[in-house]
Amino acid sequence: MSKTAPSIERKRQKTGMAFITPTLLIITAILVYPILQSVVLSFGESSIDGSVPYKFVGFKHYFALLQTERFWNALTVTVIFTAISIPLELILGIGLALLLNEHFRFKGIARLAVLFPWALPTALNTLMWRWMYNTDYGVFNAVALQSGLADRPINWLGDDVLAMGAMVTVAVWKTSSFMALIILAGLQSIPRDLYEAGRMDGMSRWQEFREITLPLLKGPILVALIVRSMDALRTFELPFNLTDGGPVTATESLSLYAYKVIFDFVEFNFGAAIVVVQFLVIFAMSLIYIFTLRNKD
Amino acid sequence: MQLRPRFGLYALVTVSVLVSFLPIIWLILTSLKTTAGIYAWPPQYIPDPFTLDNYINIIQNSPELLIYVWNSFVVGFGTTVFTLVFGSMAGYALSRLGMRRAGILMIFILAVSMFPPVSLIPSLFQNFLQFGLLNTYIGLIIAHTGLFLPFAVWMLASYFATLPVEIEEAARMDGMGTFRIFRSIVIPLSWPGFVATGLIVFIFSWNEFPLALVLMTENAMRTAPVGISLYPGEYAFPWETISTATVIAIIPILMITAIFQKQIVGGLTAGASK
Amino acid sequence: MKFKSLVLSTAIALVTLPAVAEDLVLSIGSRGYGPAVERNIESWSAANPEVSIKWNKVSDVPGDTRKLYVTSMSAKSPSPDIFAIDVIWAGEFAARGWLQPLDGLLSQKTIEQFNPALLSAATLNGSVHALPLYTDGIHFFYRSDLLKKYGLEVPKTWEDVLAASKTIVEGEGNPQFNGLVSMWAKIEGLFMNWLAFTNGNGGGFFDANGEVAVNSPENIKATQFMVDLLHKHRLAPDSILNSRPDDARTLFQQGRAAFLMVQDFVHGPLSAEDSPVAGKFDFARVPYFEGNETAGSTTMGGWFLGINPNSQNKEAAAEFLTYFAGYEQQLAAAVEDSRAPTIPSVYEDKAMMSAEVLAKFGKNFDFGVVRPSATTGSNYPKVSETMQLAISSALNQRESVEDALNDAQSKIIAILEN
Repeated sequence: MSKTAPSIERKRQKTGMAFITPTLLIITAILVYPILQSVVLSFGESSIDGSVPYKFVGFKHYFALLQTERFWNALTVTVIFTAISIPLELILGIGLALLLNEHFRFKGIARLAVLFPWALPTALNTLMWRWMYNTDYGVFNAVALQSGLADRPINWLGDDVLAMGAMVTVAVWKTSSFMALIILAGLQSIPRDLYEAGRMDGMSRWQEFREITLPLLKGPILVALIVRSMDALRTFELPFNLTDGGPVTATESLSLYAYKVIFDFVEFNFGAAIVVVQFLVIFAMSLIYIFTLRNKD
Repeated sequence: MQLRPRFGLYALVTVSVLVSFLPIIWLILTSLKTTAGIYAWPPQYIPDPFTLDNYINIIQNSPELLIYVWNSFVVGFGTTVFTLVFGSMAGYALSRLGMRRAGILMIFILAVSMFPPVSLIPSLFQNFLQFGLLNTYIGLIIAHTGLFLPFAVWMLASYFATLPVEIEEAARMDGMGTFRIFRSIVIPLSWPGFVATGLIVFIFSWNEFPLALVLMTENAMRTAPVGISLYPGEYAFPWETISTATVIAIIPILMITAIFQKQIVGGLTAGASK
Repeated sequence: MKFKSLVLSTAIALVTLPAVAEDLVLSIGSRGYGPAVERNIESWSAANPEVSIKWNKVSDVPGDTRKLYVTSMSAKSPSPDIFAIDVIWAGEFAARGWLQPLDGLLSQKTIEQFNPALLSAATLNGSVHALPLYTDGIHFFYRSDLLKKYGLEVPKTWEDVLAASKTIVEGEGNPQFNGLVSMWAKIEGLFMNWLAFTNGNGGGFFDANGEVAVNSPENIKATQFMVDLLHKHRLAPDSILNSRPDDARTLFQQGRAAFLMVQDFVHGPLSAEDSPVAGKFDFARVPYFEGNETAGSTTMGGWFLGINPNSQNKEAAAEFLTYFAGYEQQLAAAVEDSRAPTIPSVYEDKAMMSAEVLAKFGKNFDFGVVRPSATTGSNYPKVSETMQLAISSALNQRESVEDALNDAQSKIIAILEN
């Protein structure tokens, strides 16, 4: 044992390295290299085609960014959007998961239906929603007017608060099902006898949920929260197709702003700085999630 | 006694299903209307007259749509296989082989996937151009694999972590090598997890737009979402064509989701419950 | 083994279509120039079988295509060889070195046939960098049946429009009926709209000396008129602030607006057989403010064809370009597909007799207003964005017209000095 253990250990480490090498190679080529390039770009003045030689300028773009009102607006919009939609998605996701965890007929079809919004391309379903939201000929206002719920058309996408609400609605509609899926999976793995024990103790269903279900769902909830918050903080196609970031800039997300800087203004350096800051925000958020949810265990 | 909660349950299920499906139902109804019907006011809730012309038109006039759908399928399938093969190996190594710094590697893999994809485009395009990977299936497959591998590694790693260690240890005692254990014990045992992760990755790849737009510049190589974005004009947005093309392009996704729906939920069960 | 067979079948699926090298790759949308693209390629290939052409369809939605071009050109991709660009990109792309100067490649005679005003949008340091393929502009569509019903003349000035809208909206008595609909969402079309209004009041982006004069009194007055039309007179729907061109077209087509201000493209759908307003509408030049009859008010758009400076086959590309944008092809595109020519002499051709609508569009182009894209070059996207934000915040009543335009003026001067 004393002689072979280190060699077995070494062999294991070697096999492990062999196992993760393809992943690391692909990630390096597709993600790490472009990311490093962005970071380098964000600290310099240059053009990507090399026609202007790279010149290091330090934090110049970052300082400029912090003084740009539009950046702060985009950051605020993004954070508000995330802060409203994620809790809603989580609550609805848990609700849907509890519902779909019950036994009833046509469960398979119901699960498929609920999963479906998530399987549609965002760009297309957003355009679909934009059409349904249309103030003058959209189906929502048609129903509201014909049923007498409203006496004049509601300008869904023309008002700061309503436009943000419209955006949140589409996001929640699309992704609650994804959350539900992950949470449903967690629910199914909770041993039945835990509930039976609880019932013996005379727990109400609410107590059961709070004291048995929720603590055991921490893992899935963490995964769901990180994946979804990452996406929400990077939301692009939703405002791009739904509101153009309007009215004025009331729904302009960070990604939308970065997109404009990179592809409309063709300022790769400044754009890279925005993206790096955005990345730091997302990373910080993930760490907060991981630490708050992990430490309570 | 039992009737009321059941009734409430079915009512809630019905509402959830309706809300989920409503926009899609509207899309399908739209594709069955005439152009005049689509733009009628007040809107037609039921197509009047009901017509299949939009479908006939699209199949006759833009047979490319089927090529786009096929391309999406090839890219989605390739991405899924690559992601599962590499992702499961990495996930296994990081969760089961007691690797040093496994935790940091996991965080690293997650962190790189947090970068906003829009900023990757210029750099990726340049590299792909250099290596002749533009307009090739393998190119977009590698790109999508890179994009979705982190997710797959995390999902599969947490899935493997739930398998009982004893089986692997017994196999090791019998003198099986790590790769053989992985191939003939771990993979079969966690097959549902593979199906679930694979399906999610397939849908991610099927729907991915920005990279597919830029890395596939040739018409014959375009994927479905990019292909559908060719239907609008500079100013006009012909819903009759777009709704129909969308319905056609989502049929494969719908079928695949339907077939694997059970496995998704089953697979995620173990994966997320770590 | 599932594992192995999966890998194997993937490998089979990956066998890509054999890449055939083409001599020339043309990148253009399939809707913008319509069937003419295919027709031109076919006829040219028949005459020049030694050079093969491949048509790469791209999106006609400018945003998608722009993303593709910005990426390809900044990576110095040799493909496409010839590509279609929005008129507002011509100056910018030329300034960035993404367009091959055409002087040496095309004969002077070829270049001289084109409308000089249009050519100027793609001219940098005296050399032309792209050829205009077709043009369009904003027109003023009106419901001829309603004007007749209320005994009104076709409005010529904005003052007329105001009076006529009031009469018609009150007369129709339908809360869902509007005076004017247009595209006032925060998009390029909003800036086009603003240029139409301000130029029609003797103002515009530049003053008479060619200096930026966004906050001139004429512009303030015209912008205030837009605000009042919406908020004071309530003759436009609230939704106009998030309308894109097709939204406006839809409302007009449903018979819910008296006037519509958008580009040429709406003429087709509006006059389609099943359109509720077919035969009940007509169009005129965009109105002007009283006393500015000769001022321009038709904001122009359109697409150009340029050659990639990294193309491996520039001579062949130039020949193809000359053919594709040439007289005969433009005439065919005009007569058969209603695409407005950019060679003035095409309008004089006898064959144009049948293209009445196009001839009428052409008359409005005499009052054409071009966007400041050539002058501001690579700064144009920022300039346009600044203007869109300012106009949008004035229309949304975030700030007064004067504040918004003053602010835009100083920002634009800062952008141009940079």
